Amino acid sequence: MKNSQRVVRLFIILFFIGLLDFNTVYAQNTADCDCFVKGVVKDRETNLPIVGAILTIKNTSKVTTTDTDGHYKFDRLCQGSYVLECKIIGYKTTRTTIALQHSAEENLNLSEDEVHLQDVEIVARRVTSLTQPSGSLQNQSLEQTRGQTLAEALQKIVGVTMLQTGASIAKPVIHGLHSNRILIINNGIRQEGQQWGSEHAPEIDPFIAKRLTVVKGAAGVRYGSDAIGGVILVEPAELPYTIGSIRGELNTVGFTNGRTGVLSGTLEGGLKKWKGFGWRLQGTLKNGGNIRTPDYFLANTGVREQNFSAAAGYRSVKLGAEVFYSQFHTNLGIFSGSHIGSTSDLLNVIQNGEPFIKADFNRAIERPNQLVDHDLLKIKAYRQFSGNRLSLTLGRQHNQRAEYDLHGPQAAVKPALLFRITTLTGDVVLEHKPIAKEITGQIGFSGLYQYNFTDGRPLIPDFEQSNAGAFVIERWIKQKWEWEAGLRYDMRWLQVYRFIGQTLDQRNHQFNSWSGTVGSVFNANSHLSIRANFGTGWRPPSVNELYSKGVHHGAAAYEEGNETLRPETAYNLMGNLEYTSECFRAEIGLYHNSIQNFIYLKPQPEPILTIRGAFPYFKYFQTNATFSGADVTTEWNITPRWEHTAKISYLRAYDQVANDYLVAIPANRVENGFRYKIGKVIHSHDSFVSIGHLWVDQQKRVPPNSDFMPPPSAYHLWSIQVGGDIILTEKQKITWGITGQNLFDTAYRDYLNRFRYYSLEQGRNFSVRLKWIF
Amino acid sequence: MKPTHSLLTITLAFTLTAVIWSCGTKEAPAPEDENELITTVRLTFTEDGTTTPLKFEWKDLDGDGGNAPTTSRITLKASRSYKVDVEFLDESKTPTDNITDEVREEGDEHLVVLTPTPSSLFTYTASDKDSRNFPIGLSGTVATGGINQGSLRVQLRHQPPVNGQPVKNGTVAPGSDDVNITFDVVVAP
Repeated sequence: MKNSQRVVRLFIILFFIGLLDFNTVYAQNTADCDCFVKGVVKDRETNLPIVGAILTIKNTSKVTTTDTDGHYKFDRLCQGSYVLECKIIGYKTTRTTIALQHSAEENLNLSEDEVHLQDVEIVARRVTSLTQPSGSLQNQSLEQTRGQTLAEALQKIVGVTMLQTGASIAKPVIHGLHSNRILIINNGIRQEGQQWGSEHAPEIDPFIAKRLTVVKGAAGVRYGSDAIGGVILVEPAELPYTIGSIRGELNTVGFTNGRTGVLSGTLEGGLKKWKGFGWRLQGTLKNGGNIRTPDYFLANTGVREQNFSAAAGYRSVKLGAEVFYSQFHTNLGIFSGSHIGSTSDLLNVIQNGEPFIKADFNRAIERPNQLVDHDLLKIKAYRQFSGNRLSLTLGRQHNQRAEYDLHGPQAAVKPALLFRITTLTGDVVLEHKPIAKEITGQIGFSGLYQYNFTDGRPLIPDFEQSNAGAFVIERWIKQKWEWEAGLRYDMRWLQVYRFIGQTLDQRNHQFNSWSGTVGSVFNANSHLSIRANFGTGWRPPSVNELYSKGVHHGAAAYEEGNETLRPETAYNLMGNLEYTSECFRAEIGLYHNSIQNFIYLKPQPEPILTIRGAFPYFKYFQTNATFSGADVTTEWNITPRWEHTAKISYLRAYDQVANDYLVAIPANRVENGFRYKIGKVIHSHDSFVSIGHLWVDQQKRVPPNSDFMPPPSAYHLWSIQVGGDIILTEKQKITWGITGQNLFDTAYRDYLNRFRYYSLEQGRNFSVRLKWIF
Repeated sequence: MKPTHSLLTITLAFTLTAVIWSCGTKEAPAPEDENELITTVRLTFTEDGTTTPLKFEWKDLDGDGGNAPTTSRITLKASRSYKVDVEFLDESKTPTDNITDEVREEGDEHLVVLTPTPSSLFTYTASDKDSRNFPIGLSGTVATGGINQGSLRVQLRHQPPVNGQPVKNGTVAPGSDDVNITFDVVVAP
């Protein structure tokens, strides 16, 4: 059968070669200019048609808009390759290359309709900001991070690094800012825990996310105060409103280092009888033991995590509602060798060069450890009316963090520190219908109320906090230009219940300020786009900065709050240049973030004498700081099979008042990757192998005598990855991957690991990932 | 149909808002309560052949920070022998919490270390033992040297087992400091 087909094809090709002249003339004149492209433009999240999207075929005069069903059509196109651009306010501009070419061979086999017609479905993604730079992980790039913590996964985005406390705790850092200065929006709700603490990792199960997005720079207008460094969006997939049956996926990940196992499953579906109804259940289990560095195991670095979430919703064209509930529970071991009582303990470990405590592999989690629970209940409802969309989002979160010390016999049953924080949030957003078909935007109100209880060792007092904000963002698209401008006003009330001895000493604070943003995108041609954004944001001082008091264990520092602190204000200027061609893509982003009244810990001349000896004394003060840097990404398809990617991030942070560098700023880094697409191997489709190299420089920009030891040396890390898809049936697929990290078992320390004094970083780590989609 | 729908939505929204907001029943703020605060280290020296104890204290009644700690100066006689008892107290509580007994009970994971500087000031020999025959150091004897002055560092080392394995080995190295303070010492004629 196959052979005979080949023979026929060969004859046909020969026949057409003979008639080449005739064929060319024919193509240029009549039939081939009858090609047409049609399709539908849909919202990627809601799957609803988008009305009024502007479609252009680049380098031609052809322009059309989508009709009320989201349909569009271009006709009278000649054969050839075109770039189809789809633009609508509030969505990311997409460019799709379409090839309206038909070989003579195909011409004979296929009906005319199929040859001349290309059906292009465009799925548009609603953008958070048109003009502000962002990066995201989804599909394969997200897949490859499965099993890792949120911060580890986000490191793949250029400009994002992490702040670690040993091997088990990591927080994301955007352009050198972290903790209080970035916001995490988990499924549309502002994540509220004890995010001020550098050893408090985000309480989020990354398996919930279908996409992780990092909005870089001050994004105060849409997200409110505190977002002066950036925003992380953890976005789950849309509920399966249109599926009648049940489907799901099962993920298993195994890591050799720590012998960590992760199991995560999702089950979702709709109901045949109730159209527009969808539900999802999801859960994750994680169990890991002591992490190994190239030279020794780290005692008590195991982790146990149990998370689950459930969601259900209903949606029609006019209205929709969704309920989401998630629970996150983790038990994190803190490296025993990091527990110090005094400064002399710390200096002894540093002098020793390695931990005094050696261990073997062990899964048991002993003190010191953290038991963290986070519950989130979210309700969202929306209604569409005459082109407008009104949505209401309500959330209730409860975060409980129990930190157990190694200290004292009572600590076995009673945590040394217990934080319980409850947060209620509410947002109302009206997305109005386009004004004059060119301007669209949204107006919103948001409220927050929270209260916190701290028990145990004095660190931060109990407090109550309320926040109210209102914002407006408008977007305007005109030919090659896209503009965006927004304004917001926020007020915050803070009541602190501080005790001096046994006497209550209540303190009240009120802060309020404006945030603004203005930005523009200029799409010079189909290859080049330039964007610029200026954003401001502010952050009121948090309770720990105002009132903390006590020894920060692990950091060997006595930290004291300062109740006279004023809010920080960020002025963030960003420029971005993006070049895209068929085999090469480059993105260069430059930023300058100037933060007035930047709150930082200033070393005091006299140490504090305590029962555990003298501790360096730090107090919160304010200065003016600048964070300037560049993020560069390139992707180059050298051949159809070989691909090279490079990421460079550069950052310089400076204290403009003291005329000196700032401490704890991530070092500059360069990452290179080569990827070879193997294609089909045995049963595995889309197979690939890739090799990566990461170079992290030594952080040389530090103030003199600011640390117990100099910043660690530069390091090189190599990694390897192979993977592919095994298709079982039409609906079932297994995605597999094997990863080797720190291939050469390099012994290194990282400047942004608070445990760099005590131990090396993780050694070689192989992992196997399997994902079964059914 | 339409009004019903919007009415439904609004009712639903309000009900849920009420449910969510009512979930928070708040308790009154309470002062901090530190688990294992040690405010006072007391050294009691009793010269051999006498019954009059000499008490010296290092005190920080309000815990870390706040008011600075107070220290008394230890004055001993040259070339004598003393019986020494070390006590750890939490005097911020009423009645005073004596932590010494807890340290003794958990002698397998505690070690009291007395380090004079210069070392010729006196020698300290612990007389108490834990279950593995290592010293605890809460009581012992001091033999003073000649006329001299210097300082005495008192450390309470917490040396709990790691992964079930005891780490206490009679030396100062394992574990971390629960107490690490310094007294001035005068050895007079």
